[in-house]
Amino acid sequence: MSSLFGALSIATGALGAEQGAMDATTNNVANANTPGYSRLRPVLTESDPVVIGSVTYGEGVTLDQLQSVRDPILQLRIQQETQQQGQLNAFVSEMQQAQVQFTSSSSDISSQISNLFTSLNQLSTDPTNISLRQGLLTAAGNLATVFNNTSHSLTQQQSNIDLNVSQAVQQVNTLTTQIATLNTHISQLQGVGQDASAFEDQRDVLIGQLSGLIDVSSIKSDDGLTLTTSNGTALVVGGQSFNLSTQTNGSGFQDIYAQGVDITSKVTSGQLGGLIQARDEAIPGLVSNLDTLASGLANALNAANAQGFDLNGNPGGNIFTPPSASGQGYAANMAVQMTDPSLIAASSDGSQGSNGNVAVLAAVQNQNVAGGQTPADYYSNIVFNVGNDVSNGSAELSSSQLILNQLQDQQGSISGVNLDEEASNMVQYQRAYDAAANVVTTINDMLYTVINMGTLTG
Amino acid sequence: MSSIRVNPYPMPDLLAAIEQLQQQQSTATLELATGSSINKPSDNPAGAAEVARINDLSTQVDSFQHSISSISGQFSTADSTLSSVVTALQRAISLGVEGATGTLSDTDRADIADELTGIQSQLVSLANTSYQGSYIFAGTANTQPFVLDPTQASGVRYVGNTGTNSVTIGAGYQLQVNVPGSQLFDGPGGDMFLAINDLITSLKNNTGISAAVTEVGNAFSYVTGQRVFYGNALNQTQSQQTYLNTESLGLSQQLNTVAGADVATVSSQLVSDQTALTGALDAIGRIPQTSLFDYLK
Repeated sequence: MSSLFGALSIATGALGAEQGAMDATTNNVANANTPGYSRLRPVLTESDPVVIGSVTYGEGVTLDQLQSVRDPILQLRIQQETQQQGQLNAFVSEMQQAQVQFTSSSSDISSQISNLFTSLNQLSTDPTNISLRQGLLTAAGNLATVFNNTSHSLTQQQSNIDLNVSQAVQQVNTLTTQIATLNTHISQLQGVGQDASAFEDQRDVLIGQLSGLIDVSSIKSDDGLTLTTSNGTALVVGGQSFNLSTQTNGSGFQDIYAQGVDITSKVTSGQLGGLIQARDEAIPGLVSNLDTLASGLANALNAANAQGFDLNGNPGGNIFTPPSASGQGYAANMAVQMTDPSLIAASSDGSQGSNGNVAVLAAVQNQNVAGGQTPADYYSNIVFNVGNDVSNGSAELSSSQLILNQLQDQQGSISGVNLDEEASNMVQYQRAYDAAANVVTTINDMLYTVINMGTLTG
Repeated sequence: MSSIRVNPYPMPDLLAAIEQLQQQQSTATLELATGSSINKPSDNPAGAAEVARINDLSTQVDSFQHSISSISGQFSTADSTLSSVVTALQRAISLGVEGATGTLSDTDRADIADELTGIQSQLVSLANTSYQGSYIFAGTANTQPFVLDPTQASGVRYVGNTGTNSVTIGAGYQLQVNVPGSQLFDGPGGDMFLAINDLITSLKNNTGISAAVTEVGNAFSYVTGQRVFYGNALNQTQSQQTYLNTESLGLSQQLNTVAGADVATVSSQLVSDQTALTGALDAIGRIPQTSLFDYLK
């Protein structure tokens, strides 16, 4: 069917299509700086032609849809890397705080242990000297104090991390609620065949934030998007979100529960994973190392003192309050029990001037009193381990950051808005619109000619 | 469109680069400021552990040196005291030889005996010498070791004990620091106080003077022999002091190797970081401020 009205309708359709394409460009330019925005691309298709006799007549153009340009696989990789990064970031930043306690200084644990043995060596040169004896008790007190302070600082840090855990759980809940709401919108729109890309963009941003907090796997199904933690605990199923909750455990810290099940140890990535690793593994490990060292030293020095005789000729008593059999919690509570310096058992035979037992006390410095190692070696291993945790974590964090940057770069190159491109598209659509408008004008002229044909002849 | 799209948002990459450069600069600056390449355990975990061990050894060496200076004073006091003892015994021998001369009157011998009694008191006082409140010849007893006691043949009773003390002046190196008075002055070779007392008695009785002089001579030889202990001990502490100085130097060199800042490398690193930072900032400044839109009329 070839008619002027048919041609007019094709030209009008072209005007609409180019307008729609211009819409996409306008929206792209408007959202050039919107985080998570995926650029729109107009999908123009040729309308089905009409065949009349031997001639096939084109029916113009149709704007099928404004398609959002995104790569779901890349999005998934970014989510995974974000989880990894969230975990490392939280862990490294906590361990950086913890390692401050083990930074070499003149008042660190290592120095105070050395000072104690220096005091013993001095006492051996003049075993009846009360001020040297007092010096030894002071050194013992300083050692106990530095163990107390270090242990307390670490425990305090655990409590701070615990607060962060609770906050992160709340954030997770807020995000899953928002994602569930968006899921509902998206399936409603998609149900009636409409474009939901704006909501999908928003959902991607929220899933990105959620990935920074906890390990998330996403599954797309007919009824929308399902988000679970990596061990399968549901966080969002379609339009419904499942809140995580916290409960105080035996150590006074918050365990994470999902629908009544304790999933604390299952959370391995995202900020929560890093926090839990620091709170439940790394820092308790350090505290326990300190307990081993402090109780090992206290037991050995108490035992050595018991072998000798004090200034009154009596067998030596405890220098430090005796640790429990396990030594657990000793570093935090280590204290000097001896208050009278004359009770230090310097003598090996009961005579006041003997220093024979000072050598027994001093020998503790080279005995394997903590975890099969000398005090200095054991301590230096703690320093190595805490330093290694931070140093390895930082290296992994840097490489994870690099990977994430590359992935985001890639995502930007696919979904990002390039203003030059938009400008050139705009010119293209504008010219096509101009042309279609000209076609309309021309057809109008032709119609005018047709309408006035009778007038001319009549 | 066949060409590869580039990421239109270069800013996050550039900011990450700037952040990293600033981090490196801050680390380098800290390293130069402290002179140490290990300012926290994570800077070099194995090195930080090594530093803790070296510091421990270093403190031990310092402590040994401190002990040496404490006991050296005691050794010097003991040595000079024994030197005075030896001098006093020499004088006693001369007096004894003089007293043995047959031409002397009873009064002369009594005078000599009096002088010898004075020497006896001096010897008792020397044997009771204390150093910083401790009697150095009392063994490990904390009392004045020699008391006058007329019931004893020597006129003096030893109330110290036979204990000895040792002080650690090196890893596994224990040095005996005292000889008990009973061994110093009353050994198998001679009893100093008995010899002097015998000489006084023999002069007063004018009998057996030569034998008594020989006895004092034996005591003199014996004490002189014992004195060698303190001389040796002083020598040992001096050579140990030299060794510890070397060890201390070695440890500080080791510390420097492990944790010292490599100033040249760090400084040049700082400069190249600065250049890179300027470059990155420059790159941000050069991100096109215009797009095709600006050229469409």
